[in-house]
Amino acid sequence: MLDLYLNAALNGILLGGVLALLAFGMNLIFGVVKIIHMAYGQCVMLGLYFIYTLVTHLGFPILLACIATLPLMGVVGFGLQVLVINPLLRARANPLTQLLALAGLTIVIENLAQVIWGADLRGINVQLPIISIGSVFLRTSNLIAFFGALLTLWGLYLFLNRTYMGLAIRSIAQDLDSARLMGINPQAIYYLTMVAGGLLTALIAAFFSPIYAVHPHFGGSFTMMAFIIVVLGGMGNLLGGFIGAFIIGIVTSVSAAATSTEIADIVALVIFIAVILVRPQGLLGIRVAK
Amino acid sequence: MSPSRRDYLRTPLILILLFAAIGLFPVFFPSPYLIHIGTLIFIWSFITTAWSYMGRFGLVSLGHGAFLGLGAYTSGLLFNYYGLSPWIGMFLGGGVAILFAMLIGYACFRFGVIGDYFALVTLALGEVVALTIIAFRDITGGSLGFTLKSKGTSLLYFQSEHKIHFYYISVAFLILALLVWKWIDRSKMQKALRAIGEDEIAASTLGVGIIRYKMIITSISAFMTAIGAVLYAQYITYLNPHTLSGVPPSLEIAFKAILGGMFSLWGATVGTALIVSLEEYFRVAYGSTFVGFSQIIYGLALVLLIIFLPKGIYGSVQELFKKKKA
Repeated sequence: MLDLYLNAALNGILLGGVLALLAFGMNLIFGVVKIIHMAYGQCVMLGLYFIYTLVTHLGFPILLACIATLPLMGVVGFGLQVLVINPLLRARANPLTQLLALAGLTIVIENLAQVIWGADLRGINVQLPIISIGSVFLRTSNLIAFFGALLTLWGLYLFLNRTYMGLAIRSIAQDLDSARLMGINPQAIYYLTMVAGGLLTALIAAFFSPIYAVHPHFGGSFTMMAFIIVVLGGMGNLLGGFIGAFIIGIVTSVSAAATSTEIADIVALVIFIAVILVRPQGLLGIRVAK
Repeated sequence: MSPSRRDYLRTPLILILLFAAIGLFPVFFPSPYLIHIGTLIFIWSFITTAWSYMGRFGLVSLGHGAFLGLGAYTSGLLFNYYGLSPWIGMFLGGGVAILFAMLIGYACFRFGVIGDYFALVTLALGEVVALTIIAFRDITGGSLGFTLKSKGTSLLYFQSEHKIHFYYISVAFLILALLVWKWIDRSKMQKALRAIGEDEIAASTLGVGIIRYKMIITSISAFMTAIGAVLYAQYITYLNPHTLSGVPPSLEIAFKAILGGMFSLWGATVGTALIVSLEEYFRVAYGSTFVGFSQIIYGLALVLLIIFLPKGIYGSVQELFKKKKA
């Protein structure tokens, strides 16, 4: 029995790594563009479909397919900025309108996927070994995803803190008007952020591709999960999101082992509702982005 | 803003003609298919109108699927397990929906959760209800749903073999929902809620009981939505958590109303009629694989409307006419 929970907790930590990446993307977009990207999970889903198509229909090797998906998803991010977010910003839409517009976008993406790829499960068939240490069993695919996600996060940390571009992004997130006065062009930073967000969805899709098979409604639960984490850590708070991802990963994994996956999801949603009601500033108590 | 006397006198004549046309339609076109589509439009218009009661005051709920699920499952389970007539179960289901709405409404309004945060909390709630229904699969049938038992299809048990019965019942329900809208429009509550929707802090300093009014309107909306779900379940005689709770139905309710225009009496009905007909047209004309196409068009239209015409199709047309007159 204890083994079961130990296994669940460890797998929760591994899942938490990828969730942290997912939450990072959503957080970054929220912090900079000030938009709740309700279609973020759906973008990950698109990435998975791209990888699937490249591998099974065009005969790409898996690794190459993952790399080729990066620019594709970058273009998707750019397109979203041009087609959806720019008009929203120009119309000075309130946050609720933005939320609804992006929620409407999920319908477009999901049905587009259904028309193109059909309603069946699509996945690339990779068999990776399972590692056992004592009574603990870990899937290699989960380990790759975990370490890949951590490495990416470390790279993003360096990018945000050590480069001029990163400084510009952080200053836009902190204070739009002052950043403008310092000669930073917000529009350029928005494009940069959305493209970076798109690249991240491609990376997440790459890490997910050996773990999950994808279907048109695959994205919704990941949008929800990312959102739960972002709120738990505090909207726009990158460190909070990182910690929140592991908390949610472990909590859902362990409660799923103890009860059922539905109950685990209910637990996560109840945490989400409780945080919004009682502590809307999130765990760490600092609101980076207003 | 107040409509002139002539407006009041003129609208009913159009309405009488409209409802006479709806009432006589099955007599002249006794096509079961068209009657079925009509019934679906009326049932969902009833539900989306109930949603607009809240939506028009800035309380945009993305979790009305929760009320659908609570209403339909309360009534349906009581009927299947204890043989309780859905006419009674309907009110019990509505009662459960009110309790749920009050519980979560109080929490939200007490802590000042508004706008996009309110939308997100409700979105999560709709999903919680769906997951709960699925988790208790021994009772509810889980993801597979369950079929209502047949009791000799007596109207006493809200069952009928004749589509036409449901057609007229659902028209009656829709008229009721529109009348409730009118009643809200003339009540003191409407003024208070409009003030709250425009500027919550200003309204509260003027002594408007924010929590009380929001609770009342949320309860009315929840109750009607639950009743609408029972009506739908009795018509289809099959309950499924994916069509009666969770994120997709919740979003659909909100979007149908937004598309038509949630600020006007007929907006939700126009939006629902448009979407249901569009879906049916694509399904019939191009087969079920292309239902996705109609959904893509619908999604695109929705995103465009939300950005450029926040008042919806009916609301914008209405405004255009008003401007022309003035």
